[in-house]
Amino acid sequence: MPEPQIQIHNLTKTYRVPVRPEGLRASLGSLFRPAYNDVEAVVDVSFDVAAGARVGLIGPNGAGKTTTLKVLSGLLHPTSGQVRVAGFLPWERQPEYLRRISMVMGNKSQMLWDIPPLDSFRVLGEVYGVPPARFRRTLDELVALLDMEELLTKPVRNLSLGERMKCELTASLLYRPQVLFLDEPTLGLDVSMQLRLRRFLKEYNQHSGVTVLLTSHYMADVLALCPRVVLIHRGRVLYDGELNELARQLAPFKQLRLSLQVEKCNGAMPIPDGVEVIEQDRASLTLRVPRAEAPALTARLLQTLPVADLTIEDPPIEAVIDQIYSGAGA
Amino acid sequence: MRTFRLIGQFMRASFQEEAASRTNFFVNLLHSILNLGTGVLGVVVLFGQIDEVQGWNLASTLALLGVYLIVSALRGLFIGPGLDALAGMDGKIWSGTFDFTILRPLNTQFLVSVHKWRLFAILDLGLGLGVLGAAVARLGVSLSAGQVVAFLLALFAGVLTLYAILLAFAALVFWSPGVLFTWVFDAFFQMARYPVGMYPGWLRLVLTWVIPVGIITTVPAQALSGSLTPGMLFGGLGLAALLVVGASLLFRRGLRRYASASS
Repeated sequence: MPEPQIQIHNLTKTYRVPVRPEGLRASLGSLFRPAYNDVEAVVDVSFDVAAGARVGLIGPNGAGKTTTLKVLSGLLHPTSGQVRVAGFLPWERQPEYLRRISMVMGNKSQMLWDIPPLDSFRVLGEVYGVPPARFRRTLDELVALLDMEELLTKPVRNLSLGERMKCELTASLLYRPQVLFLDEPTLGLDVSMQLRLRRFLKEYNQHSGVTVLLTSHYMADVLALCPRVVLIHRGRVLYDGELNELARQLAPFKQLRLSLQVEKCNGAMPIPDGVEVIEQDRASLTLRVPRAEAPALTARLLQTLPVADLTIEDPPIEAVIDQIYSGAGA
Repeated sequence: MRTFRLIGQFMRASFQEEAASRTNFFVNLLHSILNLGTGVLGVVVLFGQIDEVQGWNLASTLALLGVYLIVSALRGLFIGPGLDALAGMDGKIWSGTFDFTILRPLNTQFLVSVHKWRLFAILDLGLGLGVLGAAVARLGVSLSAGQVVAFLLALFAGVLTLYAILLAFAALVFWSPGVLFTWVFDAFFQMARYPVGMYPGWLRLVLTWVIPVGIITTVPAQALSGSLTPGMLFGGLGLAALLVVGASLLFRRGLRRYASASS
C-alpha cells in the first residue's frame, strides 16, 4: 500500500495571544507589563490523506481548520506532533517541497492588482522555474477548463470576485503541484460561480491526480467535492469518514415528514412527548425524533394523526452540523 | 542566470504596475526635482557664507550630495519598495499576504528585497549622476583609475550598509507589524546629505557607529576628493558585510516569529 501523501499524527498547535484589557489605564499598563494567554487552536489531531484524494476539513469558525492547513502548508510550526506532506516536513519549507504544494485562500490574493493576470502568471512561472513550453501548455489547459480567456488581459483590479478566484486557482496550479490546499475558495461567490469552481476542481483532481484538502463553510462545496470529511470542533477531530455516514453516526435523531389529510384536520394535533416540531402548516408536519425511538413514535403518530403520506429520513447535513456546532455533538 | 531572469520578470511586472497611472509619473517627477532643488540649495547657501567646513568645500560637498542622491535612488529603485511593502496596516505582514511570499520556493529575504521595483527612481538616479558629474568637474582634478575603483567600492559598501539597515528595520516589523520602522531610519538618513564631519562630536559617533548613515555617503565622496584612506575604505566594506550578516540573522529570527495573520 502506498504511503499516504499527507500524514498528521497528534498535531497540536498552541498560540500565544496577548490579552488586551479594556479601558485606557489597563491598555497603558499592558504596554509595560504585557499579559499573554495560551490558546489551543488544534489538539491532538490525527488523520492521513491518500494521494489523489479529495478531503473536506469542516468545522465552525475558530475550530482549527485554517490552522491545520497552515501547519500542513509550512506557514506555521506545530507545537507538537508529527506532520509529513509528500514526504517532507512542511515547516522546513524546502524549495522542493514548496514546488509540490499550493495554497489558495479565499480571503487573500496572490495576484498583482494593477496589471493583467497573464503578467502575474509569467512572474509565477519564473518563480517556480516552469520551462516556457510547459508553462504555455499548462496555462492553455487551465484557461480552457476555467473558461477565462477574456480575463487574461484585463487588470485584476477590474475583475469580479469570481473572476479573481479563477485567476487565483490558475496561479496556484501553473506549476502542477501535487497537493492543493484550499481555504474557503468559494468565499463570497455567487451560486453559479460556486458551481463552476466545484466542477473545475473535481475535473482537475480527476485528470491530474492532485490531492485536494479543502476547508469551506458551504456544505454544498463539501457535498459536491469531498467523498470524505474530517470534522474538527474546538481543535479536535470529531469525525473522519464519509460525509453520508456523518449524519448516521453523529446525529442521534431522524427526521419525519408527514403529509396530512387536510379535510380531517380539526384544530389541535396531539404530538407525543420526545418529538420536536421543526415545521408545521395545515397540510404538513416536519418532526425530529430520537433515532432509537423512531419506529415506535412513527406508529403512534400514524394512529393519532390523519396521515396521507410519510417519509423517514436522516436529517439534512446542515442540520446535523448545526447541532454539532452548537454543542450537541461535542 | 535564473536569478537575473527572475529579477527581470519582477522589474517588468513592477514597471507595468507603475505605468498604470500617468499622474504617478508627474508627481514622481516633481518630487525628484524638489528633492534635488532643496539639496543643492542647502549646499549652495551654506558655502555662500563660508568656503570650507571641516575640510569640505562646495565641490566636495556637492559630490557628497550626488552620492546621497544616487544611493537614495538605488534605494527607491529596488530595496525600498519591497521592504516598505512589509510594514504598516496595509502591509503584507499585517494583512497576511506575506503567506504567499514565504510559500514561494525561493529565499524569502532575496524575494522581499528584489520583488518590487520603482521605475521612477531612475529619474533620481539620473539627477544624482548629474550632480556628481558637476561636482567632479568643479573639483578640477582628473580622477585616477584607482580613485574610480575606490569610489565604486565605497559606493558598493554604502549601498550594502543602507540595505542592511533597512533590512534590520524591516525585520522589526515581525515584532510589531503595524509600525513603519523605516520612517525612523528616514529621519537619520536625511543627515547623510552632509558630511559626517560637519556634525557635533556625539552625533558624528552615532552616525558613524550606531546608525552608520554617514559611512553611506561620506566615504564614497572622500574617494572622489582624494581624502579617503585605504583603512576607511576597507573598514567601510568590512562593516557593510558585518551589517548585512547581522541584519540577515535578525530577519531570519523575525521570520520565525511570523504566525500569519488570522484567517
